[in-house]
Amino acid sequence: MTAVLQARAITKSYAIGKREIPVLRGVDLDLHAGEKVALLGASGAGKSTLLHLLGLLDRPTAGEVRYDGRPVQDLSVAERALLRHRQVGFVFQFYHLIPELTALQNVLLARMMGTTVFGYWRQRRRARSAGVAMLEQVGLGERLHHRPAELSGGERQRVAIARALLAEPRVLLADEPTGNLDSETAQGVVELMFSIQRERDLAFLLVTHDEQLAARCDRIVRMKDGTIQGSRPGDVQPEDSAQAD
Amino acid sequence: MTPAFAPFLAWRYLLTRRINILGVCGVAFAVWAMLVVDGVFSGFVTDIHEDVRRSSPPLLLTDLPHDTDYEPLRKVLEADRDVIATAPRLRQHGMVMPFSPRDRGRRPAGSEQLEFDHTRNGFALLLGIDPDRERRIVDFGAWLDGGPAAIARYGGIRPRATAPVQDDPERRRRLQVDDEQEWRARRRAGLPAEDDPADHRSIWPGMLLGWPRVFRLDWVQKGDPFEVLVAAFPRHHAGGPLLRPCSERFAFAGWFGTGHRMFDELTALVPIDTLRQMLGESEFDEDYVELVTDVAIRPRDGLSPADLRALQRRLRAAAQAVLSPDCAPCSVLDWRQQNTTLLAAVDQEHSLMQIVLFVVMLVSAFVIYATLHMMVVQKIKDIGIVAAVGGSPRGIGTVFLLTGTIIAVLGTGLGVLAGVLSAMWLNPINEWIYRISGGRLELFPRALFDLQGIPCHLEPSWIVTVSAFAILLAVTVAFVPARRAARMHPVTALSFE
Ligand SMILES: Nc1ncnc2c1ncn2[C@@H]1O[C@H](COP(=O)(O)OP(=O)(O)O)[C@@H](O)[C@H]1O
Ligand SMILES: [Mg+2]
Repeated sequence: MTAVLQARAITKSYAIGKREIPVLRGVDLDLHAGEKVALLGASGAGKSTLLHLLGLLDRPTAGEVRYDGRPVQDLSVAERALLRHRQVGFVFQFYHLIPELTALQNVLLARMMGTTVFGYWRQRRRARSAGVAMLEQVGLGERLHHRPAELSGGERQRVAIARALLAEPRVLLADEPTGNLDSETAQGVVELMFSIQRERDLAFLLVTHDEQLAARCDRIVRMKDGTIQGSRPGDVQPEDSAQAD
Repeated sequence: MTPAFAPFLAWRYLLTRRINILGVCGVAFAVWAMLVVDGVFSGFVTDIHEDVRRSSPPLLLTDLPHDTDYEPLRKVLEADRDVIATAPRLRQHGMVMPFSPRDRGRRPAGSEQLEFDHTRNGFALLLGIDPDRERRIVDFGAWLDGGPAAIARYGGIRPRATAPVQDDPERRRRLQVDDEQEWRARRRAGLPAEDDPADHRSIWPGMLLGWPRVFRLDWVQKGDPFEVLVAAFPRHHAGGPLLRPCSERFAFAGWFGTGHRMFDELTALVPIDTLRQMLGESEFDEDYVELVTDVAIRPRDGLSPADLRALQRRLRAAAQAVLSPDCAPCSVLDWRQQNTTLLAAVDQEHSLMQIVLFVVMLVSAFVIYATLHMMVVQKIKDIGIVAAVGGSPRGIGTVFLLTGTIIAVLGTGLGVLAGVLSAMWLNPINEWIYRISGGRLELFPRALFDLQGIPCHLEPSWIVTVSAFAILLAVTVAFVPARRAARMHPVTALSFE
């Protein structure tokens, strides 16, 4: 079975002035449907960079990202945007909701990407009920018309999860989704993500610093010096946990 | 293809960001100003054009040699199938002074030669006409109605001064007043007169003055004598003086107003025969010619501009053939060409003002640019978010382009509405301001322009032009921030603090 998402020999370097600073130096990673993978690594190790590359928000300096075995580097900007919309859901540490929109509108935004105005207009009722159902599923049935500023951190992250999943992507990329939440709230958000992941058979890549959380995943990959070492849950190497902050 | 999120986000941004009201107001104000100010200006211009047109014959044969005879010209001009009528005209500068023996020794009204105002210094353009012929060229009735109407506007009360209509064509031709009117005028002026008015036969040729001159001479009555002085180079001076002055007594026969202020101030209409005699033409001379400086021409109605041009060329050629072969070329001018200087000045001012309004429009476009630019900067994070959810760069750019467009469309709509409403209510509002300020304040001093109300011509084509221009300008200007947003790197945008 081919992985939903594959990274092959990805390198990424940033130009700071005249110097090239390598962040990723050849990363290989496979992500299968129904698989939960934890991505651990010190701050500044390049976890977010890798996530952006996998989610097609950025292009690698070298190497390939493949969806269903098809390389994506030759796709146009618009095609990449469409692929991202169809295949990937992002959840960020700082929620990244649009402050002018209500919870429901933020979620519905994810339904308005690949369709024209008229296309959306024809399916607006269905889209809306899907959005409401999604928000109900994340436990925000009572908060549909609240603006982000009127929601707590946990509620905001739930809205972000609902938005990431409304377009029914096959890959969920979460970048320290609980990093900004207290442990109790974090617990709820994690359980929610895991349950939806299981239900939808998602390929789930979770960036976290939390070893215990990582241990609940199927697989742990660690980032160090721009490369990753895969491992199964349980064989936690002591120096890695010491490096993580 | 516009993705659905673009109009959705554009609309939400517009509703939630107060600053955009500024852009809408800016566009609305610019459009309003463009419509109303230009509407009023166009109104003035149209009125001026109408007045100038009313004061001018449709076509005028001019630039003729100074000894031109009317009759041969009339024959060739009226032979043209497109000419309905012609009328002879003789222009001569002169002095017009009210004659009043009582004022002898005191300062007569015509002595103020240093006055800038022609109606005071007595200077006049004498226009010799044949009333019966002239009537067929210009709207003489409107001229005669216009005089009292204009004076009434300035608070003077005058009876309607119709042209002296006499049964005798000879008297009509001389614009003579009634016997009794002249008799009374003689009595008032202390001039010799029969005891019984029935015995009197009027002899003075009549003169019609422009209403501003009559307005100055506020005691003048119909029949009152005026002294008219001309000085001319006679055609045949036979050893006499080269420059020959000649004065003649006229009866004040009425007043006129064409609405063309300069014409009304300057012109005195006199019988053409009398003026010819004053210039030394005598019917009893062997080489008498019906002297004219111009010939007024009425062409057939409904000629297309091209036909009219062709007619002008034809008439000019025909007239030139009649004139002596070595004389300078004559011209046939339409009413615009007769008044090029004034009309060009007015049109020039009109375009200047449109440029000023255009600048107002540019400023409002700049407001849109500034608000959108600010919005892009403030919404950098949103740009990253939308990209992460799957928004294409083109769609993201469209959000900002659409915001600018909606601002422009709303502003234009409001501006057009306000413009049309205030054009409709301009005069009532002006009245109201005039009333509540106790007559001290007025939007437009109507009296200054000889107008009954503020003219406002709002051409639908102008509304369409302004609207299209405003929207186009706003969209063009919105394009810059929109492109900036579209080109923003999603990761940079997401991590922007
Ligand atoms: N746009 C950028 N320009 C230059 N350097 C960057 C840029 N983005 C990230 N980096 C650098 O790349 C490294 C990895 O960053 P990141 O992927 O955010 O780390 P992590 O998410 O693992 O904490 C960091 O050293 C960071 O400074
Ligand atoms: Mg990070």
